[in-house]
Amino acid sequence: MIAAQDLTKRFGPRTVVNGVSFEVGRSEIVALLGPNGAGKTTTLRMLAGLIAPTAGSIVVDGVTLTRGTGSALRRRIGFLTETPGLWDRLTVTENLRVYAELYGLDAPDTVVAHALDALGLADEAGARAAELSKGMRQKVALARALLHSPSILLLDEPTSGLDPEIARSVRRLLDDRRAAGCTILVSTHNLDEAERMADRVAVLDERLLALGSPSALRSRLTTGRVTVRLRDNPARYLTVAKSFDAAAASDERTIVMRLDNAEERTAAVVRALAAAGAEIVEVRQEMPALEEVYLHLVGEH
Amino acid sequence: MRIRALVRRELLDLSRNWMVLVPVAVVTILALGLPFLIAIAIPRLTGQPLANDRDLERVSLVLGPAGELSGEARIQLFLFQQFLLLFLIIPVTGAMALAAHAVIGEKQARTLEPLLATPVTTAELLVAKVLGALLPTLAIAAAGLVLYFAGIAWLAEAGVARSMVSLRTLVLVVPVGAATALLSLQIAIVVSSRVNDPRTAQQFAILIILPVSTLLVAQFLGRVWLSAAVLAMTAVGLVAAWLIMLAVSVLLFDRETILTRWR
Repeated sequence: MIAAQDLTKRFGPRTVVNGVSFEVGRSEIVALLGPNGAGKTTTLRMLAGLIAPTAGSIVVDGVTLTRGTGSALRRRIGFLTETPGLWDRLTVTENLRVYAELYGLDAPDTVVAHALDALGLADEAGARAAELSKGMRQKVALARALLHSPSILLLDEPTSGLDPEIARSVRRLLDDRRAAGCTILVSTHNLDEAERMADRVAVLDERLLALGSPSALRSRLTTGRVTVRLRDNPARYLTVAKSFDAAAASDERTIVMRLDNAEERTAAVVRALAAAGAEIVEVRQEMPALEEVYLHLVGEH
Repeated sequence: MRIRALVRRELLDLSRNWMVLVPVAVVTILALGLPFLIAIAIPRLTGQPLANDRDLERVSLVLGPAGELSGEARIQLFLFQQFLLLFLIIPVTGAMALAAHAVIGEKQARTLEPLLATPVTTAELLVAKVLGALLPTLAIAAAGLVLYFAGIAWLAEAGVARSMVSLRTLVLVVPVGAATALLSLQIAIVVSSRVNDPRTAQQFAILIILPVSTLLVAQFLGRVWLSAAVLAMTAVGLVAAWLIMLAVSVLLFDRETILTRWR
């Protein structure tokens, strides 16, 4: 588990991160969204113990991150930096082996071989890092971040610039890590990916603008418009619908209404219609895309 | 363990980029030829033995009693002893480029951030960087010394080679030589972690050679003669200075500035 409390970072007069608080639990993936310069990388660097916050605190697995505890806590953290940062003249295996030794792992060769297998990199083991494609370099960097089986993963744009196939394999890998109990915080610009992968989404733009599950965030912008498609004539059930929304309307197949607190009241509408004998084919609650919510939040800010 | 891993990485990288060591080796070989040119080749080519030079004879008196050595051999011994100091400087000048590039090079290659995200401490990182530049330097210096002594044994007057093998030579070459290189490279690492351009780092680092060069010139003028005891104390002082400089390096190594403000 990793928790940030009132995390603030200033570089001279410029405030990059301002009073950010959140927690990421075990077996949870939180996606950190925000425009360029929103403070995502700075937040990840603070959580990884690379730079000190100007104010606020960070707790990693119950231990407060300080200068004194930093070295020990970094053992529990796997950090994927924005760029892969591989030593070009060293082979993939040599790159990973150095890190296996830095983490003090027993049998580093075995650990490295296992990591290469897990990421489908065994064929590239002897290749020099300079010879790898961008996607492969990113996979090697990910293998490096996972090498010591960290309980916390901090990933700065892990799928940026990757082809869909590799991006998918990375997402699968993160799913596996989550299932294994890992705490995962991922910074990304890819809203679709955030929605598919993350349990919760944090929108950051110097301050934390929103934090919640993708559906909860989307419901923030919901219009309350609910469309019910029926097998028989909807006009017969319009009275029932009007008891929830006086302005409810129907056409050949559907009843459309606007509900306050649609998330909770939609079920009651469905029950009432069913009790009146309506054969319901589909109920659709109009929800904005996460992208709309994101743009709304960031634009509002 | 972590230092060993990092040093091995440095050496592996260097072995794949060995051309950077060629200038160090070339300068060492050239420096090796200089004393033989002065002490042996020129006197033979001109027919003017060194012993004819009153000034050289006077300054060579700092060596103490001549024993069985001829006048010529004594001056040769003096010159070869003086040039030993050169071995403290020449390889270090070459290694400066490696050390000066150590931190800024990692930053520019974007390899520093993942490294700093590991449990490695700043002191471990900096010691590894110094050793990564020091070990190849010492290897080249050692090879140069072997050639130097072989050349003396082959070309110099009788007894010179035997007289060269002394406690003073040993102290000068082993602890003083290594400690001088260690301190110089540590200073270069400090420079490397404080500037954001490798050219600036190299320009600053090269200034470190000046104090040792001054010592060399002073010895040649006969103003200074460092006995084995003085050299031993110097070595201790240099190691102490290195430890202080290491602590200073750790204090001055500003992770935040390096990660966030260097481009």
